[in-house]
This record gives sequence, structure tokens and C-alpha cells, in this order.
Amino acid sequence: MTHNVMFQAVSSSAGKSTMVAALCRHYRRRGYDVAPFKAQNLSLNSFVTSEGGEIGISTAFQAWASGLEPRNEMNPILLKPKGGGGMQLMLDGRPLADLERASVDREMLMEHVSRAYSRLAKDHELIIIEGSGSPAEINLRGKDVANMATAKMAKAPVVLIGDIDKGGVFAGLYGTYHLLAEDESPLVKAFLINKFRGDDSILAPGIRRLVEDMGCPCLGIVPYGRLRSPAEDSMEIRRQGGIENGSDMRQVWLDSLDVFTDMLEKHLDIATLDRMIGL
Amino acid sequence: MIDCAAKVKEQMEKGDIGSNRSCEYYPCHHEGQNCSLCFCPFYPCLDPLLGRFVPSRKGGEVWSCEGCHWVHRDDVVRSFFSKVGKGPLSDHDGLMKIKEELQNKHLRIAKTLMVLGATSGAGKSLLTTAFCRHFADQGWKVSPFKGQNMSLNSMVTPEGEEMARAQELQAKGARAVPSSRMNPILLKPMKDDQSQVIVEGRPYKDMRVAEYYDMFAPKEGVEIIRRNIDLLRRINDIVVIEGAGSPAEINMMDKDITNLLTAEMAEAACVLVVNIEWGGAFAYAYGTLMLLPERQRRMFVGTIITNLHGDGSCLRSGEEFLHKTTGVPVIGILPHLELDLPDEDSMFMGTRPSKAGSLKVGVLQLPRISNFTDFDALALSGAEVMFIDRPEQVRQVDAIIVPGTKNTVSDLEWLRSRSLDRAIVEARGNKPILGVCGGYQMLGEIVDDSKGIEGSEPKVWEGLGLLPLKTKFEAYEKRTVQVQGHILGTGGAVRGYEIHMGRTERSGGRPIFLLSEGNGSHEEGTVSEDGMVFGTYLHGVFDLPSFRELFLGKARKGEVAADHRDDDRDTVVERSLEQLARAVERSVDVVQLHRSMGLPEVKQ
Repeated sequence: MTHNVMFQAVSSSAGKSTMVAALCRHYRRRGYDVAPFKAQNLSLNSFVTSEGGEIGISTAFQAWASGLEPRNEMNPILLKPKGGGGMQLMLDGRPLADLERASVDREMLMEHVSRAYSRLAKDHELIIIEGSGSPAEINLRGKDVANMATAKMAKAPVVLIGDIDKGGVFAGLYGTYHLLAEDESPLVKAFLINKFRGDDSILAPGIRRLVEDMGCPCLGIVPYGRLRSPAEDSMEIRRQGGIENGSDMRQVWLDSLDVFTDMLEKHLDIATLDRMIGL
Repeated sequence: MIDCAAKVKEQMEKGDIGSNRSCEYYPCHHEGQNCSLCFCPFYPCLDPLLGRFVPSRKGGEVWSCEGCHWVHRDDVVRSFFSKVGKGPLSDHDGLMKIKEELQNKHLRIAKTLMVLGATSGAGKSLLTTAFCRHFADQGWKVSPFKGQNMSLNSMVTPEGEEMARAQELQAKGARAVPSSRMNPILLKPMKDDQSQVIVEGRPYKDMRVAEYYDMFAPKEGVEIIRRNIDLLRRINDIVVIEGAGSPAEINMMDKDITNLLTAEMAEAACVLVVNIEWGGAFAYAYGTLMLLPERQRRMFVGTIITNLHGDGSCLRSGEEFLHKTTGVPVIGILPHLELDLPDEDSMFMGTRPSKAGSLKVGVLQLPRISNFTDFDALALSGAEVMFIDRPEQVRQVDAIIVPGTKNTVSDLEWLRSRSLDRAIVEARGNKPILGVCGGYQMLGEIVDDSKGIEGSEPKVWEGLGLLPLKTKFEAYEKRTVQVQGHILGTGGAVRGYEIHMGRTERSGGRPIFLLSEGNGSHEEGTVSEDGMVFGTYLHGVFDLPSFRELFLGKARKGEVAADHRDDDRDTVVERSLEQLARAVERSVDVVQLHRSMGLPEVKQ
């Protein structure tokens, strides 16, 4: 059986993509045959696979981090916003239609997600899944594809990422957990705090309260890491600019990720993560 | 024995005299007080909001109004004289009737509204500014307040005190004169976990984070906040308070003095602001409110969602859920706004919006960059401001600015470690280079810190050598002053303020400005012989068009754009403030807000 784990976050730009890329890297280093999966990307930054399909570039980056060539199955849905609320829907790497958000047939999308995941899982022993945005958008309940719906489909344990850089991280985690539906919150098996600067001992009382309240462990406090990666998020400020002549951007990204992964391995409770995954 | 009745009569004949600065007791209440009613015509008013009975030295009790500032407010004095004229005083009952009329117009103790954020960057600061403008437009005397601000962007008040730029902007919103009382504690991060603590506008001490939170904040910090908010409430009708960060940091709730503790001291109605742009807004709002003890949750009169792109109608079910579960209604959804206002902090620092093909001005993104809002004004002349940190970027831009820094010597080392120093020196003569404040010091030949005042090790540092000057750090003292004047030669107007430690001496080149300050005037700044390297201590140097055009003209190699010459930064800011206030009035239920603050109905 293929092992898996899913990372969801309390908001966008909490560091999900990087976390998944670094963990792909980590398990690859330990010799596992690992692959990334993200049901749905919302991005204008895409990559074209060797099969000629279009997927989100952050997922492609995670594939390289796993030592793999990117495949269409790793990101079956890509939504490319066109402005004015319009989107181009890419399904299994091919443009399907231009559509308004409301007219997407959720059942059909879930079917594609499920098929793509099965094909990918057949070929690898560990799949690390990335969620999309926040799983607790109560106004969109019943329309979810990329978060808890994917976790249920893949029967994946979920790790919730909190972003402390913005402040209010405890409120973000507490609120997200409590706004999940009754059959969703039990899927959350751990949480972690990302993008921390300073001395982490001051967080202890807050973490204790969350562990008690959510009934699951904290996997760690991950320091703020500034790395060069193909940020998929259009909101994130892109100020990395040009690169040194002759260097391969993909290699620059991976070198930077290696530094981040070294750091991550020191701050994350890998043993607990292994146990959650069943390794 | 003073004849009070005669004194009252005498002051009535003089009318509104404003502040009596020649009085030996001035200021007996507060800086800027109106002294016209030195002997209160309402005495003894027996108004529990303004005074109290105290034991008399002669036995028995006497009415004390020591803490009353109400009759020393300019607006109260003006209203008073317009009611009674200069004529003979009526009897005490008649005067008390006048007092009653006045107190509906000028609140004796200000009503307070506090704006708290679920995260930083939620839009607290902007909403505080918008509410200040809203209440000012309703005819009230308004002041902003933020107990403690951590920022490197500060300015100097007319009284020579240092305060955060964010509160200055809010004061503009309130149409009030900025005062350090609006931001009595300012933390300026230095290095590692150390900050310079500014109290009521003056440097107080450098402290480590632990010292600040464990020792200073719970004792002195609370007292500083209490006395300033008390005073502001006694000289205004409305105080709009901004919180800091999230009020629900459950790991340190007992040490957080700037959020709900301040709200309790100020008896404030609270609103929670949450930014929907990042997603998870309902979760953040729910989490923030539910992690608070119920007593504090009840202080919230509404949640405001900010930064909505697109249509808000799909949020209905989320709003209802939030109201039902937390007891706090959503009272507003604010759309994403494009405003031309200074940024509060470096979180959103990046390339500022620009037009294609415009001049590129590169600002070195020093690790401890200060007052980067100085460069906002460059966009008014069509230039694009980029924050840069690599040598190749230095080569790509049309003009280079080394900005202010909280630590000249360590940021100078940082420039060297990244070979940025060489790239800057190579650009000499080809493109204009400007150093502001700490950057000015860096462009000189020597930075003498042999007493170890600026850096941690006593040392004499070599500067970049682009300007013939030496800077010396002699003592732990700081120059904070507002100045204005003109450019020597062209006569173009300039104004701004200086905030720095250290003294700079010029041994060549020419001064740039002639500035007046108090009664005297002095030369300021240095420009190199070839006219391509500039240095100044003046923050805000680009706010008026003259120096902006002079500097950018060098990058354009002589041609001066005529279009943007008259755009004063203040005009642009004022326009944005109006736009912001009207947008907030449209999207927030201000009728309900007035009701929950105990204010009269909204005037249209």
C-alpha cells in the first residue's frame, strides 16, 4: 500500500508548497520513492510536462525535489485566473474550458482528482499531498475539492500549518480546526508553526493549550527561511529578480531548497511524522 | 486671598487668549492648553466627570478640579465665549446652563473606539485613520492613539518629539496636530533582539525583548499608556485606538499591554479587523474571538472584513455563522483599495507601482532600513522605486539611494559583505547617488564610533569615500528636529525632519540646503564637486517637488519633466485620506457603530 500525508494551511502563503517540497526532498534523501500531489492549483505560473500537459510550477518544483520528472497526474486541476472572475480550467494538463467558478461540476472534478491520484499512487511508495488555501472557508462548504475532500479520497492524515509571521497563529489554527465539519476535524493528526523568528521557548504555553484543545501533537516550530523557489502564489511579492549569468534557475532553486531542508530536519519532529505516515 | 470673582471678570474682558506661555505655571495642565479660563467660571461645577471632593486643609471638604482639562480646550473656550460674549457674567445657574449646552458639543470624557487585528497587516492602521477622519468630519475633536508601536519609520513633532509615522498619518486623518502622546511608546529595532525604546517622544533606553516584556511593559509601560490615554480622553471628544498585532497570542496574553488591557483602561468599544485576501478569514476571526475570555469578547461590537476582491455576497453564510457562534456581528466588508498612503512596515515592501519606461531609482534594502517612506514621493515624478540588495541591480538602476538605517556601522558592513560598496563606487559620476541620514554617514570617508555608541565594538570605520566628510558618534544623544528651508542656488523649497545620532563635518564639496530651525539658520547636506553625489540628514527631502526634480533630473541627464512639478505629497495624501474615509463610511455600518459607542446619530 502507498503511504501518504497531506499538508493544509490556515491561509494562503503560509508556506505549504515549500514545506511539501522540502519533505519530498527529505524522504528522497532517505531513499524513499516519494512523489508530490496537489489536486488543484490556482496560479498563472505553470510548467509544461514532458507529456505536454500544463501543471502548476510549484508542483513541478516538488517533483524535481523528489528526483522525478513532473507528471500531469501530480496536479490534475489547474485554474488560471483571467481577471474579472473568469478562469481557464486545465484538467489533466489540458485546457478544458473557460468558465465562471460557479459552473464547475464538483463531482466530475473529484472523479478526475481521484483517478489521477490512483495512477500516481500505483507508481510510488509515498505521496505527499498539498492542500489549497484554507480548508475552513465556511461560506464555501460543500464545494471543496482540494482540501478535506482530497484528504478523504486519499485517506491521508492531515497536518495543519500555521503561519506565525503574520501574527495570530494560535487564533488561526484554533479557528481553522473548529470550523471544520464534524467528519473533517478527526482527519487532522498534527499541526506545526511555520515562519518563526526569535526564541521559540516563549511559544510553549500557547502550544500546550492547542495540543490539549485539538488533541494532536505539534510537529515543530519551523524558523523563517528565505529561499528561492518558484512561488506559485500571485500575491507573493516577487522581488528575486535576475540571476547570475549561465546558472540554471532550476538548480538554484534546488540548492536553496537543500539548505532549507537541512534546517527543517533539525526543527521538525520527523519520528512523529514517520509514525503518522506509517513508515 | 485672591478675589476670584474679580479674576473671572478680568479674564472675561480679555476673551480668548490661547496659551499663556509667559505664565510661570505654564503648562499647569498640558502642553498647548488654552489659559483663557484660568479661573473656571463654572466653579464649583460638582460634575463627577470633571472633579471630586477632597479633604480641605482647613477641615471639611473642598471641590477639586485638578484633573479637569475641559475648560482648557481651545474648542470649549471658543464655544464658551461665543455663548456669553464679553459681557457681564450671568449668575451661577445661568452659567451652569451654558455648561450643559457646551458639554453636548464637547464631550467631557472622550468616547473611545479600539481597532484590533486578527493578524498584522489586517488593515488596523488604515481603518483607525479612516475612523479618525469620519469622526472629525462629524464635528468632533478626535485623536488617534497607539500605546506601543514597533517601527523604524518615525517622524518629529513640532515639539521636537519622535513618534511613529503611522500615528502621524492618523493625526492627519483626525485633523489634529501630531503629538508623541498619540504614540507614547515607540520601539525601534536595532540589532538582534534589541530595540531603542522612545518614551513620550524622547529616547529612554535600549532594551532587549525579554527586558522590555518582563520588566518594563507590565510596570512603567502600563502606567505610560494609562496616563497618556487619560489625558487624550480629557482633551478630545473621541479617541480612536489602534491595537498591536493579534490580541489572542495565548502564549503571552498576560504580557500584552497594547491590546485589551488598553481597551479596558480606555473603556473602549472594540472592533476586530480581518484581512480576507489571504484566505481563512472566518477561521481567524472565530479563533481570535473564541480564544479570549468571555469578559473581553463582550467588548467587541463588530468584526470588519478588509481587502475583499470581487463580490461580497457569497460571504453571507460565513457572516451569519460568525455572528451566531461568537455573538459579534460582522459590521462591514471593505473592498480592496488602491491608496497612495505611506506604508506602515516593511512587510509589503517591494517594487512600488510604476509606469512603463520610467526612471528606476534603486534604494538599497539595508537590513535595518529606516524611513523608507521617504521615497514614496518619487513616484509623483514618475519614477519607479525598487528595493535592491545585489550588485547587478545597482548596475541596472538609473539612480542610487542609500537610505537611513537604525545601525550605520553594521549596515555598512553588510554593504561590504555583499560587494554592494564596490558597485556603488563604480557608479560615481554616471548616475546620481544620494545618501539619507545613515546612508549619508556611509557615503563619507570616516564613521568614527571609537566610543562604541552606534555599534557593539568601539571602532573607527572607513566609509565609502564618495563625499568629503567625517561622522563622529560622541555621546548617546539624538537629534530630532523639524526643519524647513530652501536649496542653495535654486531657492526651491524643502522641508523635513532629522532623526539621528552622530555629528557630521564637511571638509569639501558644497552644502545643499539652507535650513531654518527655531530662530537660527544653518547649512545642511553635502553635494560633491561634480554635482552627482548627494548626502543629507533630511527625512522627507523628496516631499516637495524641488529636490525631487533636481535629483531625478541628474538621472534624466539634464531634462526636467514639467508635468509633475506641482504635486505636493500632502495634497496626494489628503486626497487618499478622503477616499479612504468615504469608502469606509460606505462599507461599514457606522450607524450601529455610533450606537454601540454611545454617540449621537450619524450626521449626513
